[in-house]
Amino acid sequence: MKRTFFAPLVAAGALLAVTAAQGSADAPAPVLPPLPQNLPGWIKNKDVNHLFYQRGRYNFAVYSVKPLAYDLNAVAVGHAMAYEDMVTGKAGRLEGETYRKIDRVLKNPPRLMPAEASLSPTFGRRFGVLEQVFDWTHTLHAQTVDVLASDNLTDAQKDAEIERLYQNYRTTVPYAVTSLPMNMGYLYGQSYSKGFRNNYPKTNGLFWGYHWLQGVMYDALYQRTPEQQRSAYEIIGEQYRKTELYRTNRPFMPMFAEVSPRFAARFPHLANVFDNLHMIHDMVNDILVTPGLTTEQQDAQIERALWLCLEAAHPGEKPGDAREPGGLHDHRFMEGMPGMGLMPGGTKSLMYMTTGGMGWMNMSECHHCSMPLPEGKDSWKASTVTADGWTMRVRCALCARDMSLETKGRAILHLATEDPAKPVIVFSDTEGNLRTDSKNAVFLEAEASHAGCSDWSQAFSNQAAFNAFVAANPEYKRSKPLTFAQWSTREGKKPDTYYRPEGPVENPFASEANQKQGAGKEAAKP
Amino acid sequence: MSFSPVFNRRRFAVGTLAALVAVGSGFVAAPRTADAHEADCPLCQLKVVQDTPTQDNEVALRFGRKRIEYRCVWCALTEAQTDFPKGNLTILAPSEIKGKPVLISRTDGSWSTGPTSAVFLGVNAGHKSCPITYRAFSGQAAFDAYVKKTGGAVKGAKPLTLTQLLATTKSA
Repeated sequence: MKRTFFAPLVAAGALLAVTAAQGSADAPAPVLPPLPQNLPGWIKNKDVNHLFYQRGRYNFAVYSVKPLAYDLNAVAVGHAMAYEDMVTGKAGRLEGETYRKIDRVLKNPPRLMPAEASLSPTFGRRFGVLEQVFDWTHTLHAQTVDVLASDNLTDAQKDAEIERLYQNYRTTVPYAVTSLPMNMGYLYGQSYSKGFRNNYPKTNGLFWGYHWLQGVMYDALYQRTPEQQRSAYEIIGEQYRKTELYRTNRPFMPMFAEVSPRFAARFPHLANVFDNLHMIHDMVNDILVTPGLTTEQQDAQIERALWLCLEAAHPGEKPGDAREPGGLHDHRFMEGMPGMGLMPGGTKSLMYMTTGGMGWMNMSECHHCSMPLPEGKDSWKASTVTADGWTMRVRCALCARDMSLETKGRAILHLATEDPAKPVIVFSDTEGNLRTDSKNAVFLEAEASHAGCSDWSQAFSNQAAFNAFVAANPEYKRSKPLTFAQWSTREGKKPDTYYRPEGPVENPFASEANQKQGAGKEAAKP
Repeated sequence: MSFSPVFNRRRFAVGTLAALVAVGSGFVAAPRTADAHEADCPLCQLKVVQDTPTQDNEVALRFGRKRIEYRCVWCALTEAQTDFPKGNLTILAPSEIKGKPVLISRTDGSWSTGPTSAVFLGVNAGHKSCPITYRAFSGQAAFDAYVKKTGGAVKGAKPLTLTQLLATTKSA
């Protein structure tokens, strides 16, 4: 099928609403957005098309990080069980019986990937194309992760193979989710939005926990050795199983670049595909639990939601375009992060992060010292800190180390060096003790103003690289290389350049239903 | 792996200018300069009140090499027991003297303060005012002076020992 065959979306003024014709028995029918007039005929297809992996020697390499593979297997079960309830009139048991059943699976994950169709047969029969979009994009998820987990490809080969998989994904069948950064405030601002989050907080928390995992796993694996991948997932898996699955106070789904900023900077189109896929999940969930909708209305709205996020609906549009500011065709992205559409309640430069007490943040700046981060082809020069459910890009090795010390729990530091292929990976225990397997790494730390921290605080893969830098920068000729042991026991001063960004309001989500409820420790106030 | 500090300093200046323009056009509030990386209190999720030139406000919990900041001494003591249940730790609770916090230590499971004369204010008025109503003092005289000067929710408050303050965290 050729994409050009499909007529473009004709839904001018999508926010103009029409009242649904028929609501069900006692619930008031919501005001529904109008349907696109030229939806392609194939979007109603109910036939099954089996699509499977591209050939590759890396397939199923995810099993080299077994706990991750198992957790992902359980995610498939969780998705399927919830969807089957939603389409068989059993949504009422989602927060009870089904939740417990899913949780049992999450705690005892299957050793092999289950066939979702056998767990959610009704859902699959009713939503043929939607199911295939899910399957096809989950296949992209799975194969890209397999590539990253492979131990017989170089980093360059992995990058190339991921790109090849993406091109295959978007050109083979018309089920590709768009790689454009989408306006998340628009997509999550439909008349039916937030019903699942507000009324099924535990099950929604699981969904967002799955999506957190499906994002965070990329940076956990990207440019890491198999041993580093396993060590990283030991920390991340614990965070996922103990905390992220059970968060009920997120106002919005976790975004890919929030948790895997390095991969998102390298592959912004993929980060956007996965965020848009996860948004389709949210829209479908909301539609299916909205009271008062007939089956026909549900089907029609799901077709619309799906269409909004498909590549086929956005021909010729490019990241950065804003044909409809604030609307469907607003493809601006967060400043400094092309792999992330504009966030609800934020500005182009500021997003509000509820996790980790971060508040407003600018993705183009170091969150520790507020100085600008490298962008574009230089984005690999940023380091990252992963802790407490978030991953932040930082500007220098000192910022990474000290930020990890200011955060509870274990942490993963990804320190850029002079060579993009030789980052120094550091793991922190709960007491802030650091370890690395980069035996030859040395460090420069000649602390001064953070305006220049990317110069005076650096990690090098070896002494020769340090010497070369000092030779080229004689102002550091008196600096001695620090061993990892020396560097890891230091602590810098508080950055002189730091400022706390403040957004248009103190907290754009403060009035959201799930924020009003209070959650977690806030309930334990004096 | 430096990335052209000159270029970045220029970008920083441009960014700052852009921020000021944005402020002028009403898009964002003015960024507030601070001396420290600020995160919200891990317990109550409200902002950690920053130190001022004359008064310290940031409560810090030291666990190994970790240094976690809290909004008040009650928040830190509570999390010390829930999130750091094992191991030695020290809480640096701002006192009436700038730069001289009261040190609350847990060593081999036993709690102590330094100085030993330290007392605490602990008035439950909600987290919005916890940096005012939960504080540490080097002694009773400083406590009395603070209560008298502050008034409001803390008027008439009695000083608590560390044991008494800890008991309030356990009953919460």
